[in-house]
Amino acid sequence: MTGTIFDFNGSKEAGWSQPDPITEVYSESIPQQLRRSKLPEWPRASEPELVRHYTQLSQRNFGIDTGFYPLGSCTMKHNPRLNERIVQHPGIDRIHPLQPESQVQGLLAIYYEMQEMLAICSGMDAVTLQPVAGAQGEFTAIRCIQEYHRERGEGHRDKVIVPDSAHGTNPASASMCGYQIIEIPSADDGRIDLDALRSAVGDDTAAMMITNPSTLGVFEPEIAEATKIVHNAGGQMYYDGANFNAILGKTDPGRMGFDAVHYNLHKTFSQPHGGGGPGSGPIGVKEHLSKFLPSPIVGRREATEDEVGVADGHWYHWVTPESTIGKVQQWNGNAGAVVRSWAFYRRYGRELETMSEHAVLNANYLRHVMMNPDPDLQIHAMPIEGCPADVVKHEFTLSMSPLKEANGVTGKDVAKRLLDYGYMAPTLYFPQIVPECLMFEPTETESKEVLDKFARDFHSILAEDPEIVLSSPHTTPVGRVDEVWAARNLILRYNKSQDLS
Amino acid sequence: MDQLPNLGREQEMLEIMGLRSMEDLFSDIPEEIRSKGPLPLRGPQSEEEIIRDANKLLGANVDLDCRPSFLSAGLARNFVPSMVPMIATRGEFLTSYTPYQPEVSQGMLQAMWEFQTMISELVELPISNVSMYDASTSAAEAITCAVRVKSKKVEKPNTVFVSELVPPHRMSVIQNYTQGVGIEIIKLPHGEDGLLDLEKASLATGSCAVYVEQPNSFGILDEGLMSLREIVGEKTAIIVGVDVTTLGLVEPPGNWGADIVVGEGQPFGIGPTAGGPIYGIFACTKDFLRLMPGRIVGQSIDASGKTAYTLTLSTREQHIRRHRATSNICSNETLIALMGAMHMALLGPVGLEKLSTRILASTVRTMNQISSIEGVELAFPNSPVFREFAIKIPGKSEDALSHMDKLGVTAGFDLGNWWKDKSSWILVGCDERTSELDIKALKDALKSWVEESG
Repeated sequence: MTGTIFDFNGSKEAGWSQPDPITEVYSESIPQQLRRSKLPEWPRASEPELVRHYTQLSQRNFGIDTGFYPLGSCTMKHNPRLNERIVQHPGIDRIHPLQPESQVQGLLAIYYEMQEMLAICSGMDAVTLQPVAGAQGEFTAIRCIQEYHRERGEGHRDKVIVPDSAHGTNPASASMCGYQIIEIPSADDGRIDLDALRSAVGDDTAAMMITNPSTLGVFEPEIAEATKIVHNAGGQMYYDGANFNAILGKTDPGRMGFDAVHYNLHKTFSQPHGGGGPGSGPIGVKEHLSKFLPSPIVGRREATEDEVGVADGHWYHWVTPESTIGKVQQWNGNAGAVVRSWAFYRRYGRELETMSEHAVLNANYLRHVMMNPDPDLQIHAMPIEGCPADVVKHEFTLSMSPLKEANGVTGKDVAKRLLDYGYMAPTLYFPQIVPECLMFEPTETESKEVLDKFARDFHSILAEDPEIVLSSPHTTPVGRVDEVWAARNLILRYNKSQDLS
Repeated sequence: MDQLPNLGREQEMLEIMGLRSMEDLFSDIPEEIRSKGPLPLRGPQSEEEIIRDANKLLGANVDLDCRPSFLSAGLARNFVPSMVPMIATRGEFLTSYTPYQPEVSQGMLQAMWEFQTMISELVELPISNVSMYDASTSAAEAITCAVRVKSKKVEKPNTVFVSELVPPHRMSVIQNYTQGVGIEIIKLPHGEDGLLDLEKASLATGSCAVYVEQPNSFGILDEGLMSLREIVGEKTAIIVGVDVTTLGLVEPPGNWGADIVVGEGQPFGIGPTAGGPIYGIFACTKDFLRLMPGRIVGQSIDASGKTAYTLTLSTREQHIRRHRATSNICSNETLIALMGAMHMALLGPVGLEKLSTRILASTVRTMNQISSIEGVELAFPNSPVFREFAIKIPGKSEDALSHMDKLGVTAGFDLGNWWKDKSSWILVGCDERTSELDIKALKDALKSWVEESG
């Protein structure tokens, strides 16, 4: 298939069938100057043509449903179809966020349950579901911390500390709030360097942003000490919840000493990633930050006799936090994602701990089988570990440097070759502190057989003729795509004239 | 537990690793910070039980389609063709991630490139990204983008003029996104007729940008905006927030000087969904390309010269540029934009024009009927409106809306929630699905309240 949707160019009269307007529209309803002079050049296609077009496109796209998706730091777990079924209910799909509380008691009850559940799992005191992505959660939490310092007369604190292994969104989010970023190096084993942290903090420290387990998939055993250092300097500790899938029921950011945390409902709680979104990035905070949360959050009180609600004896209502930062999204967050994640949570309940255990089991198992190939295989070079930990949490890194030195095959080449074997590639070249880094996160929803086969296929690639790997992929809908060509030519939309060339 | 393939095989896997128990996998977490006992949460449920509870909870909500509803205020009670959710949620789309590996993501990449084209055509600007979170974050990031591009070239750096009619919740998002980076927001006044005060708009000359909305919060289509370019000069960026469904009838801002067009994409693709997930559109001229937020798909070639698609200009983005990135956006609203693309493609140009015409017809019809009620006045009787119009009633909007709610009519939005001095104003929102029966129900309900309260 080489065509685009703009090849459909049917009758000039064609268009989606709709009822007629309920009344005649007079030309004076819109002043002449304001009237559109030429309609957009959209496709002119019938439903059967479009269903086939998009179905064929979908067949050129790889998802978790297609095959193993070990993309580190993204938690690509199975997305239960129940969640999709529930959000088709008119009680969520056909709801307006400005409807009165009395009309949305069911939705508010779900919000309340999710706020409570997330607070419990993270050891926080209050939760807002408004931020619609992890990065927006980071931004929201840093805004709350900013207002907290300002209210205490410490608005001069203008620096946010991030480790060099942090997700790029951390420094970007803090920077959008106006903070200067102090990046501190990781220790040789990828863990936080406490001496570097001690020399970075001061009376200008507003916060430190860190994820634990780290982006290397390794738990920071000295996290309590790190929070002490930052707190003693008057700073706040922010927990990037991207790696939350590893620790549910085992420990929580509250116990580690954090003041604020974001959750990725699209990672830990199975909101589908949808080709890049939507996500949902609620945040939880300790009591002292709760009055700054975005508005509104959901509260509840005992119902009076004539208040039926959801018949649980409560009446749910919106609450505006006392010193709220206002809004970060126009409405009340990605409610559809919250409802999907609620359905996911209900499936596990307190056994979310089992979910995390299996995520960690699978990651350690995959690491083990990948690091221990069949001795009969003639492997060009074994990857060294990114980090010499005994156990990892939900993900792990491997460095392809030895392979590159042995025969010039890079991490990217291995990643592309994995596509030929029917897998999504792992995360590539992140964290940047590991040379030729590949990061794997199998999640809890893959079977032992899939992990075993993946390891075998990975080892086959290491033993292959380097030429095959260097020129891969070979079996995908298109070959290796030239990203430089794209950036140089910048063809960012369809143009009729292109067809002529 | 039907979601865990390795349940019951833990020992087998642990033994292969030379470990004894699951606890060995968590031995790296210091004892002082370990959780004590199980999570204090409810027990697990089966799919059957969850559906039962979901139906009970969501069934307790009063949805917009089950009664006459006139609530819009930035979201649309639209009709989404059946194909859209069915095909967009095919697993290959639904369960994929950001297309970092273009070789196995051609489907979504091409669909987003086609989406970019359709948005570009819709607003008449050459460039579109693949979506922002919603209209408010689109507007906020358009402002920060314009400041990055313009600050060194204008007399009033870091200054942006914003229409005073931007509703407070959208304004609040703009404030949060701009406060830390030192951008000064100055309000542009509107006159008694609800139209932008063009004389005062000239104050924006020399600033980085002006942000206005078409139609504005009262549903007014403001012809005067088309002279903004002349008024503010060539150097100041013009950012326009649009209702995308006007554009089958109304001249797109790209044709009258806008540099950036933003807006709520929701009417194309998805129901109001209690406010999300929805998607913001973001389109601009070439001047803003290298400093704009969000993901962009470009056409390219593969190793054999075959046409292919890939994310491009990623060096603007957080995963590469870190704290110097143009935005922190990572997850966006791609799947909802895909639904939008499907909806737009189904409509086609003629379908779009008809959709706009239907909404306009509903608005005009409703307005004529409601304004005939004695005691009810149109707030702006002489201005052309689309989708929404404001009325003044003899009493508190809050009381009137609650009275009509009891009669089974969701009659609109209490503008006193946005502006304290407008507590007797109601914003009535119409759409393509507004019927004569709906209008009659609204009219009867409002009439009965006016009579009872009078």
